[in-house]
Amino acid sequence: MKAKAFCAASLACLVGAAAAQHEHHAAAPAAPKPEPAAMRAWTQQPLLLPGRMERGERASAMLRPQGLTVERVTVYASGGPAERLKVDYAVGAEGAKIESVTPKIGNYHWVVAREERGGEVRVASAAWYFGNPGDSPKDLLKAVRHELEIVPEPLPREHSSYRESEKWRFLVRLNGQPLPGHPLMLETEFGSRSTFVTDPAGVATVLFPRDFKPAAAGERSGHGPRRAAFVLSTTKDADGRRYLTAFNHKYGQDGDRDKSLGWGAAFGLVGMAAALPLLRRRNKGDNGNA
Amino acid sequence: MLKLLCPTLSRFRMTVQIAMLFVTVYGSVFVGNYMADKISNALPALSCAYDQMNGGYCVLVPTQHIIHHRIGEAMVRAQQLTFQMVLPLLMTFVSFFAFFFVLGKMFCGWVCPLGTLQELIGKLGRRLGFGLRRFEKDDLGEVKRVRPVKWLLLLALVFVLPLATGLGVTPHSLGNPYCDICPSRVATTLLTGNTEQLALRLGDNVSFGLGAIANLLIGFMLVGAMAIRQPFCRICPLLAMNAVFQRLSPMRLAKKMHDNCGKCGICSEACPMDITEIAKEEGRKAYHEDCTLCGRCAEYCPQDGTIQIKWGPFALFSSRRDYYKSKVKGELPDGTVKPLKFVRNAARPTADPADA
Repeated sequence: MKAKAFCAASLACLVGAAAAQHEHHAAAPAAPKPEPAAMRAWTQQPLLLPGRMERGERASAMLRPQGLTVERVTVYASGGPAERLKVDYAVGAEGAKIESVTPKIGNYHWVVAREERGGEVRVASAAWYFGNPGDSPKDLLKAVRHELEIVPEPLPREHSSYRESEKWRFLVRLNGQPLPGHPLMLETEFGSRSTFVTDPAGVATVLFPRDFKPAAAGERSGHGPRRAAFVLSTTKDADGRRYLTAFNHKYGQDGDRDKSLGWGAAFGLVGMAAALPLLRRRNKGDNGNA
Repeated sequence: MLKLLCPTLSRFRMTVQIAMLFVTVYGSVFVGNYMADKISNALPALSCAYDQMNGGYCVLVPTQHIIHHRIGEAMVRAQQLTFQMVLPLLMTFVSFFAFFFVLGKMFCGWVCPLGTLQELIGKLGRRLGFGLRRFEKDDLGEVKRVRPVKWLLLLALVFVLPLATGLGVTPHSLGNPYCDICPSRVATTLLTGNTEQLALRLGDNVSFGLGAIANLLIGFMLVGAMAIRQPFCRICPLLAMNAVFQRLSPMRLAKKMHDNCGKCGICSEACPMDITEIAKEEGRKAYHEDCTLCGRCAEYCPQDGTIQIKWGPFALFSSRRDYYKSKVKGELPDGTVKPLKFVRNAARPTADPADA
């Protein structure tokens, strides 16, 4: 019975309490800084680019559509009041100032800008992380928002990010149905271009290129690895229309850059060596008497 | 069935520890990838946020972040220190306490992945025949000299430096200094096959220095744990933080004084934290700030009902003479067990030809 009581206490610990979160803004798609003009030409795909915001602002963000002309962007949340789960924001001169579902609920929100011109539908999509606790984006990513979609499977965890040399999975679907054997193009701010093809489940495994240029003097600020923009895009002709969808986000430089495994291992070995004298004295009386 | 699989409290605890090691290091497989999916981000155990596969975060992570990013920065902006600003910290502590209330300091002795690793290494050390080193007068020095370190680390690395960084007094790389020196960060990420946290950042002396300390600690721990029981636990700031709240959880160590108390000393010999007070004191004083509620003292106390692990009024485990007798047959109080065969052979003295 006593052992059972222990089991019950352990299980209660695992399932009982709600998972609280803390703010983390290193994983946001971009640092709140304006994009230099020189960086705007790296792609012709439709984008949602971050604009300037006040430092410490956690419940709102400025997103500027680029490569498409839209009057509004739509923000989807995974939890919160029903009337706030899908909200349209007008696009002004600086872009659209979007907000988290409530001031206190953050985490990932899905942002879409959609333009219909003639027989073409152009969609820019992005995932924006608001630095407050919020629901897991699992359900947010499952929901169908528009015709042709690029869906991260999964998004980077809140303490993580897409990074150079890493492989990440993206689902390409049309009207909610996976598109097998479909090309997905990757472009990065540093000029890399590559194309990946979806598997039978409609999932493309994207390898992020190791293409970060050395940081210019004084370029880096804040903590965490340097980040740059990338965009994934795909097109599909269906129902007499041409669909072009893009998903843009940030990726970081490889965590091993600017780091030395050799130095790390060396200090580990020094620590081990420092502990060796502790092992010298053997308690002979205890050996073999158990 | 449970009794068959786990005939002793130690065996049951080790089973729980191994299960918790998987939950805290690889738990995302079960609970999900995102932070919002985690069991909690305020666990009273060193479950590292740098481990991309973990099932929950250690409470020290959000504590440093909130003090750095919210409280410190808000004070810099000369805003009023309102309830709204400290609310995230409060929520973190509420989440922490929701867990802590149930198991108390058992999080140290039963759940913490770093504690489990140290214990496994210690068991290996015993099997390899390394003699146990203790914090006592005639060996490594009195344990009392080590005890204040954990409080200093908690104060300086979890509270003061993150706040000073938020205020702009110290460099940004001192924003989460405890995580930077935490050996659990290195150990648990290595367990997932990731060497990134072992590598040291170049070009930033502060980051390099903090990372070097973490690696020295993990290196020392990996070898030292074969001779010293739970070497890092003794200076762990999370043990200090758990000690602050230990009287608020119904889970506790309860000790009654027996005529033999202070004479046999088997309980303190069994204690992996070398707590001598358990043998000499009773009541609140016996449930020491360093106690991890591992229960070894209760297992090795030969007196019926003298030492108990209790949750509220319920005794979950009580010391028993018959249990003690069967327990010492397999393992001595200090953890000594029968060494491996090749160790025994190596230790056996060669026969003197003159004896032949």
